[in-house]
Amino acid sequence: MKDLVKFGALAIVLLTALLLAVVAGDYGPWYFAWLVGTTMIVLIAVSSAVLFETQEANSLAAHKEPVR
Amino acid sequence: MELYIALKIIWALLLGVLLSGLAIMVGMDMGVGTLLRFVGKTDAERRTSLAIIGPHWDGNQVWFILGGGAIFAAFPTLYATSFSTFYVVMILLLFAMILRPVAFEYRSKVDARHWRASWDWAFLVSGALPMIIFGAAFGNVLQGVGFHFSWDGQYYQDESFIWYLLNPFALLCGVMSLALAVYQGGAMLMIRGMGDLAARARRFAVAGGLLALVLFVIGGVWIEFIKGFVFTQSVDPGMPATPLGGPAVAMRAGAWLDNFHAHPLLWLLPALGACGMLGGSLALLARKPVLGWWLGALAWIGTIATVGGAMFPFLMPSSTTPAQSLTVWNASGSAYNLGWMLGFAVVFVPIIVSYTGWAFRVMKGKVNPATVVADDHSY
Amino acid sequence: MIDPTVVNLSRLQFALTALYHFQFVPLTLGLSFILAAMETVYVITGKQIYKDMTLFWGKLFGINFAIGVATGLTMEFEFGTNWSMYSHFVGDVFGTPLAIEGLMAFFMESTFVGLMFFGWDRLSKPAHLAVTYIVALASNLSALWILIANGFMQDPAGARFDPTTMRMQFKSFSALVFSPDAQAKFVHTSIAGYVSGAMFVMGISAYYLLRKQHREFAARSFRIAALFGLISTLAVVTLGDALGRMDDLLQPTKLAAMEGLWHSAKGPAAPWKLFALPDDAKQRDAFSIGIPYVLTPLVAHEWNTTIPGIYALERAAKAKTVSGIKAIIALKSFGASHDPAALAAFRKHENDMGYGFLAQRYAPDQNLSAITPALLPAVLAKTARASIPNVFVEFWSFRIMVGLGVAFIVVFAFGAYYSLKNELEKHPLVMKAAMLAIPLPILACEFGWVTAENGRQPWTVYGWLPTFQSASSHGIGYMIFSLVGFVLLYSLFIAAELYLMFKYARLGPGEHAVQPKPLPVPARPVFGQPGYANKPWQ
Repeated sequence: MKDLVKFGALAIVLLTALLLAVVAGDYGPWYFAWLVGTTMIVLIAVSSAVLFETQEANSLAAHKEPVR
Repeated sequence: MELYIALKIIWALLLGVLLSGLAIMVGMDMGVGTLLRFVGKTDAERRTSLAIIGPHWDGNQVWFILGGGAIFAAFPTLYATSFSTFYVVMILLLFAMILRPVAFEYRSKVDARHWRASWDWAFLVSGALPMIIFGAAFGNVLQGVGFHFSWDGQYYQDESFIWYLLNPFALLCGVMSLALAVYQGGAMLMIRGMGDLAARARRFAVAGGLLALVLFVIGGVWIEFIKGFVFTQSVDPGMPATPLGGPAVAMRAGAWLDNFHAHPLLWLLPALGACGMLGGSLALLARKPVLGWWLGALAWIGTIATVGGAMFPFLMPSSTTPAQSLTVWNASGSAYNLGWMLGFAVVFVPIIVSYTGWAFRVMKGKVNPATVVADDHSY
Repeated sequence: MIDPTVVNLSRLQFALTALYHFQFVPLTLGLSFILAAMETVYVITGKQIYKDMTLFWGKLFGINFAIGVATGLTMEFEFGTNWSMYSHFVGDVFGTPLAIEGLMAFFMESTFVGLMFFGWDRLSKPAHLAVTYIVALASNLSALWILIANGFMQDPAGARFDPTTMRMQFKSFSALVFSPDAQAKFVHTSIAGYVSGAMFVMGISAYYLLRKQHREFAARSFRIAALFGLISTLAVVTLGDALGRMDDLLQPTKLAAMEGLWHSAKGPAAPWKLFALPDDAKQRDAFSIGIPYVLTPLVAHEWNTTIPGIYALERAAKAKTVSGIKAIIALKSFGASHDPAALAAFRKHENDMGYGFLAQRYAPDQNLSAITPALLPAVLAKTARASIPNVFVEFWSFRIMVGLGVAFIVVFAFGAYYSLKNELEKHPLVMKAAMLAIPLPILACEFGWVTAENGRQPWTVYGWLPTFQSASSHGIGYMIFSLVGFVLLYSLFIAAELYLMFKYARLGPGEHAVQPKPLPVPARPVFGQPGYANKPWQ
């Protein structure tokens, strides 16, 4: 039952997002650009941090190499 | 045209709902602010008091902002005229309202006695003053306000602002409003506070509730002698929204009771308010703070509904040019605007109520002073 | 009679309180999404340091947020307290977005911000992340509705003047919400906020890196902020360009003042003024350097078009004023008599009525009926001159904003490049630049506000209601009372805010990134974050 509610809530959120995107795309090109742009900016910032962790892991591994 | 009348009435009711929401939620925070120095003898107790409303005051304050926005949109002429004629009072209210959020955020961020003591005074002033002004505004509007309009819709003020601050009936309403706020804040401190803090809060809250009841009764008798406003010509409720060229209005002592005489069922409203105050005080005495809190909310609703029921359809009558009094019929927005806003209200008010309720549920439970003091993040 | 001193004091007060409020708004808009990004990384990677980052920057966010909310209150009430005629005239359409902002955005923002600060140990990780995103989204939604309202002042779409109620009446919700000016302005402002937030985080991180403090923490914060800021700045510039084109179409006086165009620019060779000293009194440049073949393609995105200059616009304003005076006289007579003939006369000239209001100030006793044929040319000349905003202010505030924007691209580009290569510490100059640039985006935002709102003058509603006509009929005493109060209170606030910001920024996040201690759970976890209390940095 709880899963069903969760699924329903998620479906509503997705449908709202879809509706918003369609309306914004039709009538408010700049609003649509904001939605897409903000998502992109946040995602790029997040992936840059994930990249940081990868870089650090690599450099740690590189330092360890000679020891082994 | 009928639709327009219905929309005007609905928005008059929603205005009442907003004012009640504002009074209950903001009033509670203001009450806590007012009581801060008196229920909290130690810094820990004061921080606990702030932590009790800490996660919610910001959300509650939006009632105030929403109130401003909704009056602006639904009754533009009322917004323009009342805020400008009450200029000095409104600016004082504004100063208090902007001092408060800053006090919350800054008070406990520096551990110095003078710093914190200064902000505690700021809480007292910024809690008590707005509630007095809120009540006094009702008192002033009930007596009529001196203003008139020129041909282009600009208002002109015909009275000194000193009167709005110092006339006795407005003061009575102001003190009553403060008393109810203290009651509501005290009840909240009892719900989530412990020990001495809760015990002191209880004394103040009960005193506040009973004082409000006494003042409510005095006000009810007094209103009989105050000049109310009545239309002396027939009114078309669907009239276009302009205060110019409207039907004639007369002033007569006791006229505010006409609606009650015409519709005796309205007497239930003041009864509701009085029962809320009395029952609430008794509930707090019996250490049932949650019941007391809800009865306090009922007291506010009853009080505001009583004023609304007495004045309807007047919103802000003019004592110097009664024919230009602002009413639900002549000060509202257009039908198109009221319709759209109603749509938004119907969708968003339930959403707001549900997430506010959720936020209170997430943060519920007693506030432990030890945790508050140990945690530098808290207020 | 309208007292010009009272109008000017009202304008001064509004400008002061709006500019003051607008110091805090951009940071809220930007930091909220940066916090959301950091917390996302925390939820994805599970690394404690990202939670510490969210908490630390969240604390600075909180200090800023409180004062932003407080000073925003002033704005919501000032329309009523100081601009009664304006509120009466446009409340039916302008008040609506403000009310919707409260219902839709502000309630959400303020309720969830409490949970964001105090709900860490009461919510699951994803639930708290969702709360943070809601705060970020709601802050920006709030900006959306405010800028829709502002868009109406710039280009009154979706409403029509109604002579019976003497005000603009709301006619089309979609025209209001999807007005191109509102759209572009919202995106431009919101993303300018992202730039401010990114520069704030990047600059403070650079300060730590330069002092070799909290390096694990600062390097990560720097990385996120630099990328976030770089893309945002590019987006802001794009949107600024779109706004310029919009002004070309909708607000020619603003554009002419922004570019210092006294004479109309015909054809592709017209110079774009890189530097000029416009003299408003003499209506010419004391000095100017221009680059040919830049202006027309830059503004209009076309080669062969004419951009009207100030002289031409003043000539057009004179014709509109003649018609507008007739409109207002007819309107007044219709208001008194409800005579259909007066209404018909008004209808013929209604689109120019704003210019009639504008001329009122220069009529004898501010009464348009008292203008004699002999006086008319002088009234027309004064009205036409008044229809142009102050060119010097407009020209320079626009150029400062644009210049700063270009500088930000450079700072963010270098910051992002060296951060991605992990070579930041070899380039202290970049970090010093980032540190010094912390307040500059906010300055650019303020100049952006001046460009938009000074360029709108002399109107509160472009072409319909002059600023002079809009103010409340207060005495000077009232204005002095409120101005003194605002200055005192706001000085107190800014002192406290800066003191706390510096205090917490200096204290820093502490060195705890390497090994997060296990969190002790108190008997009754109530507020805040258990286990953080024992850390000296909080």
